[in-house]
Amino acid sequence: MTSTSVSAHHKITRPNMVAVGTIVWLSSELMFFAALFAMYFTTRAVQGPKIWLQSTEILNIPFAAINTTVLVLSSVTCQFGVFAAERYQARRTASLINVKYWGMREWFAMTFLMGGFFIAGQIYEYASLVTEGLALSTNAYGSVFYIATGFHGLHVTGGLIAFLIVMVRIAKARRFTQGQATTAIVVSYYWHFVDVVWIALFASIYLIK
Amino acid sequence: MKANWKLFTGLSIFYILMAVVYYYVGGEAVGITGMTLAACLAGMVGFYLWFTQKRIGFDIPSDNINAEIADDAGELGFYSPHSWWPLPVALSATAMGLGLIIGWWLTLIALGSLVISIIGMVTEYEKPVSVSSH
Repeated sequence: MTSTSVSAHHKITRPNMVAVGTIVWLSSELMFFAALFAMYFTTRAVQGPKIWLQSTEILNIPFAAINTTVLVLSSVTCQFGVFAAERYQARRTASLINVKYWGMREWFAMTFLMGGFFIAGQIYEYASLVTEGLALSTNAYGSVFYIATGFHGLHVTGGLIAFLIVMVRIAKARRFTQGQATTAIVVSYYWHFVDVVWIALFASIYLIK
Repeated sequence: MKANWKLFTGLSIFYILMAVVYYYVGGEAVGITGMTLAACLAGMVGFYLWFTQKRIGFDIPSDNINAEIADDAGELGFYSPHSWWPLPVALSATAMGLGLIIGWWLTLIALGSLVISIIGMVTEYEKPVSVSSH
């Protein structure tokens, strides 16, 4: 390899294709959730306010708020993982208690646990709503509530699998390079996106009602 | 990328205007939600391209009117020269979809094989040091 081809090799002429592609894909995911929001608002308009008032009063808003907080904070830990990935630091350089020296693996594992907490909370919430008499087939509110939050929950589960795959990939990688860092960054894009969608869903379903 | 982010941001503004117009002519919830979130769709891509341009800190060749075709040469990314893994990924995804018609048991099995084949695909080139490359 001559010196000119080496310099051409490292010249940046375009943004990272994987990152741009992920953003374009996430924008199409946004339209998927747009359909769910449209379904929610239309059903509310068609059904009238009475069924909504009856059904929303059994929602456990403090519990959902705690769950939301955990998910929002998991975005913060995810971002710290990205900062570690941008330093090409896969694992911690000091003891586990010393958060300052955490690598990408520790931050992503933390994010994974918080995301898992959110899903577990979601399942607990579904179980208590079903015992209180709101199921998928109870009424129109039950259908839109479970479809909207359920599809979001599936996305969070997919994100959790993505975190596992990133950690497997980093563990198998010979060196931590640009390619591994890109994977970590695009998974964080997805996680932030799912988080923002949840904030919008939480505001629509639990706060505005 | 100047043209790209301006195009997407312009689209976003257009959708916002249309959503407002639609609201005032008595539009219903689906259209207003759809157009507002379509504005987010274009705005998200536009913002990302604008932000990336700020971050890389220079104009890419497609923004330069005097650029040569050769200026855009460079690394596009890593592409697998040959791989069998996309086949099990696609088969698992197909089985997952078919499972919705045939029965949930198939979807669950296919989900497992999908995760395994995705791990196989993304870690195919992450070989330990002892294995020679190529």
